[in-house]
Amino acid sequence: MSGKRQARLRIDRRTTLKWLAATMAAAQTGCGGETRFVGAEIPPAPTQVDGLLGTGALPAGAGYGSDPDVMHPSVPWPKTMTDGQLQTASALADMILPADERSPAASEVGVPDFIDEWVSAPYSDQRRDRETILAGLERLERESRSRFGASFAAARESEKAELLDSLAWPVASGTDLAESVEFFRRFRFLTVGAFYSSPEGMRDAGYVGNVAISGPYPGPSDEAMAHLEGVLVKLGLKSPD
Amino acid sequence: MPSKGQQRYDAVIVGSGAGGGMAAWVLASKGLKVLMLEAGRHYDPKRETPMFAAPRVAPLMGEGTPDKPFGFYDAAIGGWQVPGEPYSSAPGSEFMWWRSRMLGGRTNHWARNSFRMGPYDFKPHSRDGLGVDWPIGYEDIAPWYDKTEAIVGVYGSNTGLENHPDSSPGVLHDPPAPRVGELLIQAGAADLGIPCVPARRAVLTRPIGDRNPCLYATSCGRGCAIGAAFQSTTSLLPMALATGNLTIVTDAMVYELRLDRRGKADGVNYVDKTSGAHAAAYGRVVVLAASACESARILLNSKSTFFPDGAANSSGQVGHNLMDTVGAGMGAQFPVLENRPVYNEDGAMGLHLYIPFWLYKEQARGDLDFPRGYHYELGAEGRGQPRLGMGKIADRVGGYGRRLKDDVRRYYGSYLHFTCRGEMIPNAGSMCEIDPEGTDRWGIPTLRFHFAWSRHELNMVAHFQKTTKALIDRLGGNIEYGDVTPEEAISRGGEIIHEVGTTRMGDDPQTSVTNQYGQSWDIDNLFIADGGVFASKAHKNPTLTILALAWRNSEYLANELGRRAL
Repeated sequence: MSGKRQARLRIDRRTTLKWLAATMAAAQTGCGGETRFVGAEIPPAPTQVDGLLGTGALPAGAGYGSDPDVMHPSVPWPKTMTDGQLQTASALADMILPADERSPAASEVGVPDFIDEWVSAPYSDQRRDRETILAGLERLERESRSRFGASFAAARESEKAELLDSLAWPVASGTDLAESVEFFRRFRFLTVGAFYSSPEGMRDAGYVGNVAISGPYPGPSDEAMAHLEGVLVKLGLKSPD
Repeated sequence: MPSKGQQRYDAVIVGSGAGGGMAAWVLASKGLKVLMLEAGRHYDPKRETPMFAAPRVAPLMGEGTPDKPFGFYDAAIGGWQVPGEPYSSAPGSEFMWWRSRMLGGRTNHWARNSFRMGPYDFKPHSRDGLGVDWPIGYEDIAPWYDKTEAIVGVYGSNTGLENHPDSSPGVLHDPPAPRVGELLIQAGAADLGIPCVPARRAVLTRPIGDRNPCLYATSCGRGCAIGAAFQSTTSLLPMALATGNLTIVTDAMVYELRLDRRGKADGVNYVDKTSGAHAAAYGRVVVLAASACESARILLNSKSTFFPDGAANSSGQVGHNLMDTVGAGMGAQFPVLENRPVYNEDGAMGLHLYIPFWLYKEQARGDLDFPRGYHYELGAEGRGQPRLGMGKIADRVGGYGRRLKDDVRRYYGSYLHFTCRGEMIPNAGSMCEIDPEGTDRWGIPTLRFHFAWSRHELNMVAHFQKTTKALIDRLGGNIEYGDVTPEEAISRGGEIIHEVGTTRMGDDPQTSVTNQYGQSWDIDNLFIADGGVFASKAHKNPTLTILALAWRNSEYLANELGRRAL
């Protein structure tokens, strides 16, 4: 981590102590811990987040079952985020992935809707993320209003950045910001994953597959092979064949 | 005996996957009347394969859930948990039992890795004193591997490597050209004296009949509507049906063997899952191919005055010797692969190159602290189709904003994944039995599993880790995951979905369940055609060997029926 970044972190820690303490009660975290794969775990009961961003519906409905119609995918559970939560999520997603010369902003490819679908799902992993994300959005909103007198969505870019600069890199667990940093990490994971899975994101990243090829697989382009040759020379390795 | 008007088939086959599909085709081709009972529903890959569908169209971006562990589009109906069909693990033990309840079973979604077992793999006890030898040697099965590869369609090349037998000329399909990540690994491996050669996969690169060659896109795990990736539902089953001699009944959950008054197999009893009604099917021969543990369950649940401990179990070995492949993984990011030129890296949607086991001489000399082999499966597509997992790049680099977008562009395609697939040695602590307290939704007693790895497997994982770190280091990579203790790294029992051994074949009726033809020692018109008959579990993925054995054993069965020996 750069010295500049560390300095910024220290300042932010001092200023954010208060908002964390004030909103800790809103966050009822699930059992935590990553599972290596999904089993028959019973999802934790969802808790209600009742705050500045409104009171959303509790997740309802079952999963898609073991034999869904894979040719006509549909999401059987209703979305549950409030307008306020969606606005905050949208503003946050666009801070994470803003529009630039190569691709649009996260909200333009449906990222907030996807996050709503995710946190409303009846599965245990998603239930845990729901607790983390809805509580985190509420804390972010509360802090924005108390610090800038404006909702996060309406805050100036520099103000939003001031809040995020303290959350965007890892901190030691147990420290004051750890919970909000974890919220931001999970939210960013979903935002980035969803964005680059969109056609615009795939184009931006440079994915050119998922097209039928007739005849033999052509393998790497001449340019890709030339690059590899350079890599092998740099590593002192012989080129295969 | 069948009731009036009910047909007695020449053969009743339980299960429609690799073993059942092959047995059905071989027997039906010989003019025998065959009934196949499948516990899952009818399934047609031509109509039900979501080829090319984008992850974002699926719920949760198609990510795995308890309903579909390998994701929404995975061609598996079932998983490690099947509603209404529970199982248990003994205290202190954990085993994960995959069931695909559909026509074609697990052949619809498997990785298609198809490596021949070699001469050492059939005689492991002779080599290191552990486990047991098979009652056959490589030379007995070699011609059946050739025939199976020709029908299934396998790409790869003959390498001449020790214990990695060549196929006969003209059998293999041309392997696809290697990708940049694979070529990089190959160069690094060569520098460390490790071979990295074309993999063998049951994917066509030239047509077979109405099955088309691979079009180099869309995951094989979804199934293959064009028949390029082998599954019984686009090959063996349509071929068997075309003979006019095969009848398939789906949603038929077989739970016990029927015996006649002499203690010979007379057929099976099953539950019609659509109505819950119980029914019987009759055959001159019964072939169990329900998967290793399900076939063992059927036998153990077939208690009678003839067989108080379950049918075909005079040896007491049914359910014992349960093995799965040893799994472990490590992944790394490679700065040399950042910002490299774009090209289409989908390829055949699986291994083009792999690392076969290469330390037989060292092992024979006693230089290694583990007795059996493993191979590497390489996750080297680099720029695979972006999925939700792209978010891991952000986890790694941190930050946000325009710089994060630049970082994603830079790091996408710079990761390589190394997977260990190793041989487990059977041990007394790994087996399945009937759970005295469990029943499924139809009241059928369920399985209880015991499972334990031994030092042999843990030491193997440690060796894999050490070797992988050396390879990653040689290529200038930074380890991303998998650098943990072998105990933490090793897969859970059943996780690799290669369970075998529970009705093993052998030379001695005292210590094995079947003879070399999968024929029960106790009931001569009962055959087993799934992975249960494996006497050992080479690191080589089992499906190709299940297919080859099923063909060999079905020919024997047909001959025996023909000379009225059964």
